[in-house]
Amino acid sequence: MNLLRLSLRNLRREWHLPELRTLAASLVLAVVALGVVATLASRIERGMLASAAELIGGDIGVSAPQALPATFADQAHRDGLQLTRTASFPSVAFAHERTQLLDVQAVDAAYPLRGTLELHDRDGRALPGHAPAAGEVYLDHRALVALGLAVGDRLQLGGRTLAIAAELVRQPDGGELLALAPRALMNLADAEQVGLLGRGSRARHRLLLAGAPEAVRAWRDWAEAAELPSGAQLITPEQTQERMRNAFDRAGSFLRLTALLSALLAGIAIALSAQRYARRKTAEVALLRALGTSRPRVLGLLLGTLGALAVPAAALGIALALGLAQLAWLLASQLFGNVPTSLPWAPAFAAAAMGIAVLVGFALPPLARLAEVPPVAVFRQSLSRRVRRFDALYLIPALVALALIWGQSGSLQLAGILAGSLLGVTVLAALLAGALLWLARRIAPGAHPALRLGLAALARRPALSVIQATALSLGLCALLLLAVVAPALLQGWRQELPADTPNWFALNLQSDQRAGFSQSLARIGADQLNMLPLAVGKLTAINGQPIDQLQFADPRAKEWTDRQLRLSWSAALPPANEVVAGHWHGAAPDRPEVSIDTMWRDMFGLKVGDTMRFDVGEGSLEARVGSIRKVDWSSFRVNFFLLLDPAHAGTLPHTWLASFHLPSGHAAELAQLSREYGNLSLVDVDSLLDRVREIIDRVGSAVRWILGFSLLAGILVLAAALAASAAERRHEAALLRTLGALRAQLRLAAACEFALLGLVAGLTAALGAAGAGWWLGRAVFHIEGFVPPAWPLVASAAAAAGVVMLLGLAGTRRVSRTPPMRLLREG
Amino acid sequence: MNDSSRPVLEARDVSKSVDGPEGRLDILDGVNLHVMPGESFAIVGASGSGKTTLLGLLAGLDTPDRGSIILDGHALHQLDEEARAELRRRLVGFVFQSFHLLGALTAEENVMLPLELEGSSAARSRAREALDAVGLSARRRHYPAQLSGGEQQRVAIARAFVHGPRVLFADEPTGNLDQRTGHHISDLLFALNRDHRTTLVLVTHDAALAARCDRRIELEEGRVVSAATGVPA
Repeated sequence: MNLLRLSLRNLRREWHLPELRTLAASLVLAVVALGVVATLASRIERGMLASAAELIGGDIGVSAPQALPATFADQAHRDGLQLTRTASFPSVAFAHERTQLLDVQAVDAAYPLRGTLELHDRDGRALPGHAPAAGEVYLDHRALVALGLAVGDRLQLGGRTLAIAAELVRQPDGGELLALAPRALMNLADAEQVGLLGRGSRARHRLLLAGAPEAVRAWRDWAEAAELPSGAQLITPEQTQERMRNAFDRAGSFLRLTALLSALLAGIAIALSAQRYARRKTAEVALLRALGTSRPRVLGLLLGTLGALAVPAAALGIALALGLAQLAWLLASQLFGNVPTSLPWAPAFAAAAMGIAVLVGFALPPLARLAEVPPVAVFRQSLSRRVRRFDALYLIPALVALALIWGQSGSLQLAGILAGSLLGVTVLAALLAGALLWLARRIAPGAHPALRLGLAALARRPALSVIQATALSLGLCALLLLAVVAPALLQGWRQELPADTPNWFALNLQSDQRAGFSQSLARIGADQLNMLPLAVGKLTAINGQPIDQLQFADPRAKEWTDRQLRLSWSAALPPANEVVAGHWHGAAPDRPEVSIDTMWRDMFGLKVGDTMRFDVGEGSLEARVGSIRKVDWSSFRVNFFLLLDPAHAGTLPHTWLASFHLPSGHAAELAQLSREYGNLSLVDVDSLLDRVREIIDRVGSAVRWILGFSLLAGILVLAAALAASAAERRHEAALLRTLGALRAQLRLAAACEFALLGLVAGLTAALGAAGAGWWLGRAVFHIEGFVPPAWPLVASAAAAAGVVMLLGLAGTRRVSRTPPMRLLREG
Repeated sequence: MNDSSRPVLEARDVSKSVDGPEGRLDILDGVNLHVMPGESFAIVGASGSGKTTLLGLLAGLDTPDRGSIILDGHALHQLDEEARAELRRRLVGFVFQSFHLLGALTAEENVMLPLELEGSSAARSRAREALDAVGLSARRRHYPAQLSGGEQQRVAIARAFVHGPRVLFADEPTGNLDQRTGHHISDLLFALNRDHRTTLVLVTHDAALAARCDRRIELEEGRVVSAATGVPA
């Protein structure tokens, strides 16, 4: 009979064994945990890219300081992509004797390819969002106010009279949050006709593309291989979402590692079950060997049985992972709008492969040793195992774990650190659990008989008890960290901000408006007013060398030299800034000085003593790098990468940026102020914070239950340990029943045993989560005196005790019914 | 119920059978016996003769299919498992061939078990007395793995006697011991039987041990084939 059929028959016969069922359940859980997290991560990434495409106005694009060669569009046509051309440039608009510098974007009829234009008519009603026709222009609110115009009026732009067809409310590529100039959207053909895009213009040209993912990828590959014109760069969703991506990457790593923790805990359950299975099969294997079955065939049969079990279990795991990921996606999809993304299959299959690696890695050592049982063991069981001081086979699970951590973390060094940390945490948890069990045993002599019996049951299997407590506590600890400690940390972090932290910014304040604006603010109850000068310019040279002649290794450098920079100046070093090199310039240094942020030092390779030239409007300033600063960007204060000295920068053309604190409930007064100062842009930091909190809440609620997998894995270890100790438990129960123990007494002893186990696991987890929270509070969030929430953690430990008790009672229900005659039959 | 003129244990027409792959198999068939208070009583027979099944029925670990068993005036066959467990706790002690001590409990804690199950407040002091009686007070803090086979059986005997049972059931009590140690153990059992007036019912292969009992019966294929009076030791 071939091995496969034999293995299938073997599995069918033995499927009733609890250890085989635990093996299958552990594999399913490992695949589900890894699969759900990987599938969700992949989908969220796609969703982020898709929403980034909305921000760009296309799936991908290229921008250049001059019109792009036709080859880019031709290739896009060949790839079957839609395309749109845009150009953006500053231009001055005229109307009724007023002039205003506008940030103009000229677009063709296909714009936008992704996302929507939001337009309003004169009365604030929504209009269909299409690109402006020839002779039309859309202006944003600031532009309309600054020019004293309304929808339906006309203005002059680039020497041509255009009709204002709509108010521009929102557009893809809506610019930065703190847009510098009022915006206008006009027809591309009009801009070309009037010569706004000709030679010598400051226009930035863009070609945006959209289409099927494969076509986009094909074009991208082509464009990356093609030589881009000077100053041109690809616009990719990844760049746009860089910040959010970074945050997500970190959250993703945490989740992936938690899923891995679940898989490794499932591995412990697999190892316990495989050990139990091997013990049970020893006599049978000895008999097979005595009857002439070769060792390779025995091993083949064992591995065949394992394989016959693994394939359907992995398939079930994949199906569950995809189903749960779909469910979670439905919950979390609001985050990214209605971005259509398909369900990726690959991550779940990769998870199945990892799950099978865990199964084989953790089950192989006992099974391989089982195949080595000598035929003579049919006479003497004691000959069934060779005693080894060190068994290299047992390194396999450790190597599998390390390989998986490496695979999930993507770096050998990080994998080493993570594996070390995981080992450290495990050892700590094991020591703590062991110490608590030891302590419980010390106080046992005076305890209630049921409690003593329960404790004795834990002490009877010390290694198993510690493994169970450790596995449960690791799973619980991951859950507590996210469910209890993280919200407390975020709350603490918010409270760290003084109540009067500025919660509003006003941009574009003119020098002659400062006094009146201050008085108006004071009148409506605002305080903590702080005004900083703000000039907008470009970096044109470093150490006398024109910037476009310099090459920088850091790709960000090119981006920053292309864009308008915000410059400010101050006599005093602002709060949340620390000078790490050089000296702060003070109020009036001998020659112009600039202080740069460490990111600028790294991007441009700058050092103290270098010079930088900035062009601001018609003026220019050459400044020496006097100091390098480290800025705490999380401080919610206004901060600048570049700070000049006030004595020399004060003459540059500038506006003012005001920050102030306004208690809530003053919306009406603020709206009035906004009307009075039509040119101002007011930014509500509170609502930004609320948005951040909302995102954290939604992501948190969508992923929190993923951490439940680690707890489930801990419970599986408990189940595996129960299965491993079932025979022993039944023997004990038979003895106690013979001595006259009532079922209720046995159940009470079991309740005490498992409640204690749960309490030890819960306390270990609570201590671990509190320790991690305390460290995070100090080292990462810089919250002075952060105390992790004690009561929720203690309550969680108590709840863990209750849940483990119920699970343990359920798992040993049949044990209390063991017939006492069993003992006499055993001899 | 401590009337010394009436049997402390009585089996009337007891039968027990099990369903096997080849149909019904009779293990015991119409067994009758009675044991008087303080008496020592041996059940002997070949393997598969039904000795252990009979011991289990007499001790209330199982119920007969037919017939009745009266233990200290209680009709065991009319009680459910919980009630029989309660009765065992009060009236019965056990000694097994494989000792059956709990490995994670010390000798003293093992002896305390029956007392703890009945909620005795003086469990520890009574356990020490019992260990003293079997000559193991110096070993009370030892775990079973630290004791020899003979010592483990002495702990098991202390556990069996500690709560003053009316009847002590012993299943091959010397089966796992060498001859000399076995002899010491049987001496101990008979001495306690004599001193405490505890009825002793034992199952054994050992003809010498059976001969030390006041009476013995021999089973063959589930039936009592002979009954004899032993030679007092």
